[in-house]
Amino acid sequence: MALLEVKNLVKKFDDKDILKGISLELHEGQSKVVMGGSGCGKSTLLRCLNLLIQPTSGEIIFKGENITRPGVDVRKLRQDIGFVFQHFALYRHLTVQDNITLGLRKLKKMPAKAAVEKALYELERVDMVEHRNKYPAQLSGGQKQRVAIVRALAMDPAVIFLDEPTSALDPQMTREVVTVINKLYLDNITMLCVTHDAFLAKYISDSIVFMDEGAVAAEDIAERLFYDHPDPRVRQFFLSVIDHR
Amino acid sequence: MDALINDLIAFSPQIIAGLKNTLLLMVIMSVTGLFGGIAVFYLTLSRTNAVRTWTERYISFFIGTPLLVHLFLMYYGLPEFGIHLSAFTVCIIGFTLNVSAYNARYLMTAYHGLDKMELEAAQTQGFTHPEIFRLIILPQVMRLSVPSLTNQVIQNLKDTSVAFLIQFPDFFAQMQEIASTNFQFFKTYMTAGLVYLALVSIIVIAARRLERHISLPGFHI
Repeated sequence: MALLEVKNLVKKFDDKDILKGISLELHEGQSKVVMGGSGCGKSTLLRCLNLLIQPTSGEIIFKGENITRPGVDVRKLRQDIGFVFQHFALYRHLTVQDNITLGLRKLKKMPAKAAVEKALYELERVDMVEHRNKYPAQLSGGQKQRVAIVRALAMDPAVIFLDEPTSALDPQMTREVVTVINKLYLDNITMLCVTHDAFLAKYISDSIVFMDEGAVAAEDIAERLFYDHPDPRVRQFFLSVIDHR
Repeated sequence: MDALINDLIAFSPQIIAGLKNTLLLMVIMSVTGLFGGIAVFYLTLSRTNAVRTWTERYISFFIGTPLLVHLFLMYYGLPEFGIHLSAFTVCIIGFTLNVSAYNARYLMTAYHGLDKMELEAAQTQGFTHPEIFRLIILPQVMRLSVPSLTNQVIQNLKDTSVAFLIQFPDFFAQMQEIASTNFQFFKTYMTAGLVYLALVSIIVIAARRLERHISLPGFHI
């Protein structure tokens, strides 16, 4: 059974169809990347999946439960879904360590000492322990994104959503972050990542979903989608993305 | 000048009592106004339209009308409806309602400068709206609002001088009493002005220390 199953998901804003019946599956330990042109609905899809945006219709089955039904414990659901944002979204009044321990202490009700130990363990995984007492303003973009990833990971979620995790970074920092996400991929962390970055997509995906105008146009492994797909829209998109890099 | 000093010495018990009243009023309204301001600010973020609308009306009314009108309404107006409040009670209620409106506005201004992605991040982590307010929004807007909030404390101190108009025996009321006795209006009121200036200077020094104490990298206050 899939960890996450999306069935015919539709989202309309006013009368505009943003998502036109998306269906996809994500299994435990699988890493899937969603790509597509700007405005194709990728980020809306991700936000619908943790109910930050309420879908208009369709079903989202997470861990066997239909989470689009009324009465779902959204707070509990979100603790099970880590979320990494394009612009990091670290709490700027808190140190790196406190950014990570806040959720552990307040949501997981972990004792302060255990929360700090967990934070340090996770920071160690991304070589950020020495920065634990710094504030977000004292970090580079790549370091901020590594902390944001750790903040999501520390909650031990069933899946991590990444929304354009490298789009706000220069090439050097992008490489840093891709290395970290690639480590997660090799550790079989379940991930769903939205990106424009073909380099990232290639190194962290089991398969890539290509979205066009609010619908899934293709799904395949990176090599076939990038270089050898029968659909001309897909070929055109990946040609431009890969050439761009 | 000697005559004024003699008068100040002669009136010193009343002056000290007036000064105590002024400081008491200033401290109470600054504290109640701060908590009131936080509560009103919280209501401005309500997801219920009616709550937001009425909160905005409250703020507009108290910022848009003179403080003296609020005090007179309560002190001289309410007795027409059989409600008699002491001058001190009227001062506390009137000033608190007024200061809360101003403080709420300062906090709202700071809130507009927050990175809203942080709030979305907190939401995705599973925090509820009250938790996001307490753990993410409030610590940041309070830091960013320190200059405005301390200016309001200074304003509170100066505004206590209108309390004598509803018979509250504050410091300025005592100085007026002296002036009407010795007829040295300029010197007496100048002395009153210097006392206010000294008190304001103490608040400013304390505010600077507070700003330094709570300043963090990335927060430009």
